Amino acid sequence: MSYAYLFKYIIIGDTGVGKSCLLLQFTDKRFQPVHDLTIGVEFGARMITIDGKQIKLQIWDTAGQEAFRSITRSYYRGAAGALLVYDITRRDTFNHLTTWLEDARQHSNSNMVIMLIGNKSDLESRREVKKEEGEAFAREHGLVFMETSAKTAANVEEAFINTAREIYEKIQEGVFDINNEANGIKLGPQHLPSNANTPSGGASASQGGACC
Amino acid sequence: MLNKFKNAFFSVVNNLDTASLDKNNDVGPNGEPKLPLKFPYTRPHFLQLNGEDEIQVAGDHAIRPIIVPRDITKMPWNSGYAEAVNAGKSLRNEDQARIHVGYLERRSRQRIPYSYFALFDGHAGTGAAISASNELHCILHDKLMEVIHHLLPTPEINESTQNGRNQVLWFPEREIGVESFIVGALEATFHEMDNLIAEDRFVYRVTGGCTVVVSLFICGKLFVSNAGDSRAVLCRGRKAFPLSNDFTPETERQRIRKLAALQPELLGGEYTALDFSRRPNRRDIGQRLLYREPHMTGWAYKTVTPEDLKFPVVYGEGKRSRVLATIGVTRGFGDHDLRAPNSSILIKPFLSSQPEVRIVDIEKEAIYDTDVLVMGTDGLWDVTSNERVAESVQRSLEQFPAEDAARYRYRFTSAAQDLVMCSRGKLNERSWRTADSKSATIDDISVFVIPLAAYKEEHLRWKQEMESQSQRQSDHQVSVDIAVNDPSTVESPVMAANQPGRMTADIHTNGIPPVDKAATLLDPEEKAGVVAVAEEDKDTTVGDAAAPPEVIVDPLQPVTDGTSDPEIEDKNESNS
Repeated sequence: MSYAYLFKYIIIGDTGVGKSCLLLQFTDKRFQPVHDLTIGVEFGARMITIDGKQIKLQIWDTAGQEAFRSITRSYYRGAAGALLVYDITRRDTFNHLTTWLEDARQHSNSNMVIMLIGNKSDLESRREVKKEEGEAFAREHGLVFMETSAKTAANVEEAFINTAREIYEKIQEGVFDINNEANGIKLGPQHLPSNANTPSGGASASQGGACC
Repeated sequence: MLNKFKNAFFSVVNNLDTASLDKNNDVGPNGEPKLPLKFPYTRPHFLQLNGEDEIQVAGDHAIRPIIVPRDITKMPWNSGYAEAVNAGKSLRNEDQARIHVGYLERRSRQRIPYSYFALFDGHAGTGAAISASNELHCILHDKLMEVIHHLLPTPEINESTQNGRNQVLWFPEREIGVESFIVGALEATFHEMDNLIAEDRFVYRVTGGCTVVVSLFICGKLFVSNAGDSRAVLCRGRKAFPLSNDFTPETERQRIRKLAALQPELLGGEYTALDFSRRPNRRDIGQRLLYREPHMTGWAYKTVTPEDLKFPVVYGEGKRSRVLATIGVTRGFGDHDLRAPNSSILIKPFLSSQPEVRIVDIEKEAIYDTDVLVMGTDGLWDVTSNERVAESVQRSLEQFPAEDAARYRYRFTSAAQDLVMCSRGKLNERSWRTADSKSATIDDISVFVIPLAAYKEEHLRWKQEMESQSQRQSDHQVSVDIAVNDPSTVESPVMAANQPGRMTADIHTNGIPPVDKAATLLDPEEKAGVVAVAEEDKDTTVGDAAAPPEVIVDPLQPVTDGTSDPEIEDKNESNS
């Protein structure tokens, strides 16, 4: 399918906070209560529409385990957006956010849009981290914040789409250099026909020449 | 002469890129219709990457993600696998891998299970590696079926003895062990695969060539067959025991130069089989220079003639050594159309598809929980030594204590991932660097980590089952005699022997038991030691010239034979 832009996302956070479940809910609209351990990295992709433009999200879901940290760090490069996830029922996952944030900022480009996500909002009775605490952390570090539930799908769409909207706005403002792939953004085939200099570009793109 | 290398390099790279890029075009550069692909490009089936999209993401040259199987229940014995694409040296990841679990079955009565793990490292295109990953195990299955009656445990052989078929009086008595039949099947398979690629290229588009390393677990033993510069290493504790030799221009220098001397027409008048201590130039003509003939390993003097200025058939040292200034690996499949730069000289006659097969007797060996077989393409070994690999594996396994059941089964996957990480390293500014800031590989990397204890357990269970089955069968023989018309009675022992959990999807079942030939069972005690090398045929033939005699570094000599066995034995003793 043709698209105007491709955004690369990463999902990071402690093990067991629901990163893979968020991805599965977003790409497949389903919830898997017992999810296998993620070793290294997993991929997902979905098309969304912002401002009438087709945008393809290419999502890299990383392993949360400490043992895999040095490997997963190498996947931060070239991401335009990051979902930093903690579990509202486990205080320690919230406490580790600073480390994750430092890691992300150090290994990715400075313009990366980071969305802070408090997951498992359906488990209100077991909540250990107040919503206000999440909001405060996000405000302090300049992040966007949202509580989600991968189980009920509450706010999952919004989390991914709002991040994309932020990135899209940054593109409009000229903050992102869309010609540098290290920024995690690629122009899709939809852009090519409008480019008068490359009339043949549209033809090759329609053959599915677009890479993700 | 640098140009020769340059040309070789660019022709190899260009071949690939055009081969991969033009997949949507049906016409060649001159407008001629292109042959179809036999198999589409893909990644190993057990990774379960869905569609072109995920294959592209996995092949991101800038990030080089380390890809592991999505569902490890698809991996025999929770074996580990990991891969990473090159840093841009070719468009596609040219490594391929295959796992096949099947069984040999004779008249639905007795089954011999086997597990097959293979790595193929492609060059100058993806075609040969893709073909081999799709077809080699099928050919092997057929070859093994042809000798199944020699592989079954003793009762079956006795039966054929009773039939009197093997009492062929004029046939000289020669003891051929079970192992030799499996080795023979492997060797015949490699030869046939290479021939198949040769024939296919008139009907299909098969580009490039590939190396091959196969580990076959069957009858309680591990057979490692290698043709190329991928490597299999047994990692035991923090010690490494190589189970294969690398076949490169450097290690096969003698074989190739001998062939060149025997068949000088293969050199097209442009290359020489002589080896000089340094390349002679015009000014050296008439001077004496140190040199050696193909039949020499040491050095002597020769007065240089204009003839001697030709380019050496094998040139360069180590990883840079090349045959006919072109190829850096001397065994494997494909490359039938590969030619020396700016000439019509074919490279293929100097290459061989013959594997070296080594055997580990897993049933007899004391095997420990952390004993693993590591198979990797040269992307792994170029950067990480055998010993470092063994260390890394043990470190990885230690991170997964047995008490943590949920994570425990991922330990071999994690070990494989860590190994790829060791050799891929991290992107530092513009170059890939290892953890100790050395140059990392920019090549494709693929690694299997296979636990040996799990196979041993599986094998012993099967053996027990076979024994009780043959027991039941002899009981059953009595009941058939009594109630010969009752089909349920006849079927029951067969059903009991079925193994419903096995993957049987792509097994060829055309194995009609051939006429039994004279054979006797090898005394199992005869094969002592862990590693045995099976490469008996050392005849020199065109295109498949065999091993040189004694040289300082002889790739075909079992380097581990003398050294590894005692150490393994020692360890066994201290542990028992």
